[in-house]
Amino acid sequence: MLATVTTKTVRDRWLGSLVGATVLALFLWLGMAIYQQIDISMYTSMPELFLSLMHIPENADVGSLAYGAIYASYGGLTLASLALALGSAAIAGEERNGTIGLLLANPKGRTSVLVGKATAMVALAGFGALILGAAAVIVPSATGVSITGMHPGALVFHIFVNAVFYGFLALAIGAWTGRAALASGVTAGVMILSWIAASLFPALTGLEDLAKAFPWYYYDAGLPVFNGVDWGRLAVLLGGIVVFAAVAVIGVNRRDLRSQSVGTTLVDRLRDNPSTKKLADRLAGSARVSRIWIKTVSEHQGLVIVVGYVMFLLMGVAMGPLYGLMDEAVVQYADQLPETMMAMFGGGDMSTAEGFFQVETFSMIAPIAITVVTVVMAARGLAGEEARRTMGLLLANPVPRSRIVLEKSLAMVVNAALVGFATFAGVAIGSVIGGLGMSIANIAAVSLLVTLLGLVFGGLALALSAGTGRTGISVYVTSGVALSLYLVNSFVPLNDDLAGWARWSPFYYYLGGDPLKTGMQWGHGALFVGLFLGLVGLSVVLFQRRDLRQVG
Amino acid sequence: MTTPSTIHTQGLTKHYGAVEALTDLSLDVLPGEVFGFLGPNGAGKTTTIRTLLDEIRPTSGSASILGMDCRRESVAIRRRIGYVPGDLTMYPSLTGRDTLTYFANLRGGVDWGYVDELAERLDADLAKKIGDLSSGNRQKVGLIQAFMNRPDLLIMDEPSSGLDPLVQREFQTMLREVTAEGRAVFLSSHTLSEVQRVADRVGIIRHGLLIALESVTELRSKAIRQVRFEFGAPVDAAVFSGVPGVRSVDVDDGRMVLSFDGKMAALLTIAEQHDVLDVTTEEADLEEIFLAYYREEAVTD
Repeated sequence: MLATVTTKTVRDRWLGSLVGATVLALFLWLGMAIYQQIDISMYTSMPELFLSLMHIPENADVGSLAYGAIYASYGGLTLASLALALGSAAIAGEERNGTIGLLLANPKGRTSVLVGKATAMVALAGFGALILGAAAVIVPSATGVSITGMHPGALVFHIFVNAVFYGFLALAIGAWTGRAALASGVTAGVMILSWIAASLFPALTGLEDLAKAFPWYYYDAGLPVFNGVDWGRLAVLLGGIVVFAAVAVIGVNRRDLRSQSVGTTLVDRLRDNPSTKKLADRLAGSARVSRIWIKTVSEHQGLVIVVGYVMFLLMGVAMGPLYGLMDEAVVQYADQLPETMMAMFGGGDMSTAEGFFQVETFSMIAPIAITVVTVVMAARGLAGEEARRTMGLLLANPVPRSRIVLEKSLAMVVNAALVGFATFAGVAIGSVIGGLGMSIANIAAVSLLVTLLGLVFGGLALALSAGTGRTGISVYVTSGVALSLYLVNSFVPLNDDLAGWARWSPFYYYLGGDPLKTGMQWGHGALFVGLFLGLVGLSVVLFQRRDLRQVG
Repeated sequence: MTTPSTIHTQGLTKHYGAVEALTDLSLDVLPGEVFGFLGPNGAGKTTTIRTLLDEIRPTSGSASILGMDCRRESVAIRRRIGYVPGDLTMYPSLTGRDTLTYFANLRGGVDWGYVDELAERLDADLAKKIGDLSSGNRQKVGLIQAFMNRPDLLIMDEPSSGLDPLVQREFQTMLREVTAEGRAVFLSSHTLSEVQRVADRVGIIRHGLLIALESVTELRSKAIRQVRFEFGAPVDAAVFSGVPGVRSVDVDDGRMVLSFDGKMAALLTIAEQHDVLDVTTEEADLEEIFLAYYREEAVTD
């Protein structure tokens, strides 16, 4: 039984680990090949903030630079994201799907099911780490990069333990509450916040020690790629894993299991109260289900609120005053940065507030935030309704398939725009509070561009969702493509001969024109709109042509 | 045929790669009838329904509903039908009423007075969220959404699953009301009992092939019944063994039990010539016929 829970979970979920780790392995190869051909001496004198954000060790050479910038940063985030998705799906996900009852009808206790699920999560993180580890050894010898004195195995081990830490955090929250969305949301929030905090605080004079309050610090602060496995710091993460495992065991055994039951929300309480019933009914009931797109928008309100809140408050408002706290050295350093270096940070020039926001908010986090919303909506909107077997009932109504695709796309536009607006408002307020004097029109421009960029990836996910009817393909393939295109735009420009290839990445048309400084790039915006509309059109065609899937 | 068929299929075939899910299905469902579509699990019932609804497209052949082509005029067809899928799933976070409102908005022209009447008849709780309902109560919401726009054709896949006997009876009454108004019902099921009470005709499908298409009355007349006679004096078994339809005769003193699948008149004429004290006959056991159809290994045209 234990073995079957584990093997079944591994079988259902291996694709994510494979795609994530393989993309990273490929980019380790690309990174090493490119760094070899450029002068990397510029890295040695970089200020601490850059180094810690991108996990680049001081005095880096080609090998450690590639390990740091590709494995320690992106690798750490990617593998941890995969593990947290597995952790939150473990117990709470089975409850959400209504399969937990059947699973526990077998003569095994809740603890052993939990252990089976946890084993699968650790195994899949290990599977990803194995691919990373193999590439970490093969790539340098294939590209002729010297890694003498380096410990790539130790780095990969740290990546693995870090991933398992977030996996267990999600598992514990899911096991304790039975809410999968809460588990993945809170854990992702903790992960992103602690990644940023562990990188930012060491660069802020007087606040360096605050980094130690965040788990990300214990993952990479000991520079395992140079110093080998840092058992002292890892012990903190391992201790966390033990605590989370205990919480998960107690949590899953102490409470009533949730049926597919959906829980009582604040709006439900308002609908039950006679004095607020009428208004709440209008908001939650008749209005919400008046159109396919409105219903779709409202189905994702939790995701949009969380992501919008993070973008508004943490990546927007809070960043304004933070800029003032930055080390003088960062500002002084800015002029010396070569152009190729800037490309890696999304063109950010940290001596200016615009450059700071570009690096911190817009280069990576904002595209991720909006793309998460659009891709989730695209996958769930078409393939998800098939998987949940509601598509047949929906299509029994006199509604052409094209209208379903178009209304789902409209809902995606609305929610992407909401997150884009939250980002815009947050950064604009942050700029005012911090007295940074950034152009409001330019903030609006970059927010619009990132919204459109997210919609392009949403369009791709929609086409995959429409064409295959499989949410997994839609999410994983789109994530892989987006990550690849991001890395193409970040790394290819470092080599002059290859720089032209960056034009094949939509990220090039997002920050390439430096919209925070120069304002709206209408041509780039139009390109995104055209791509999005083209992908929506393709989705309509694909969805109309095929047989709906019969699931279950 | 004078009245146009509500459903008409001609050589309808659906293959999934090498798997023949449905082969050459030709049938007509007429206005005002309940057509029972019977077959074991995996026989092709759901494939047929999904083809009729344009969820999947036939490999060859054609189907029309209310005179419109299932492929080209699907949207117009769906305006006039109601559908209950087998293994019904709806949106767990919506209440029953929200769910019905959603579908009513997509359809237009739903009479809410009628919805409330249906909810009362089926004893459905529309205030609860779908996710908090038992499967039977969820099924009630599914039934209401299919009935609520008074469709010209109801397509239902195992519609009474999970319903308690009282609600099942009400549901059957609702079906009879539909047919009394000249509307049609296509009722798919793998259990005879669900169909037998309401259907006028049945089609039996197995391995994707339609193997029988008969009225329920006809089917019943084919059924083997047990007929018991009590005679004032012992009667020789040979007296009855020549009557057409008599399969076997058991004699025990004045009592006689016959297995019989012919016309009762012939049997009674002979019985009258003896001293009949009592005659009882059990209800025709369609189940046996039905199972025989399911079991048959080879199917010949």
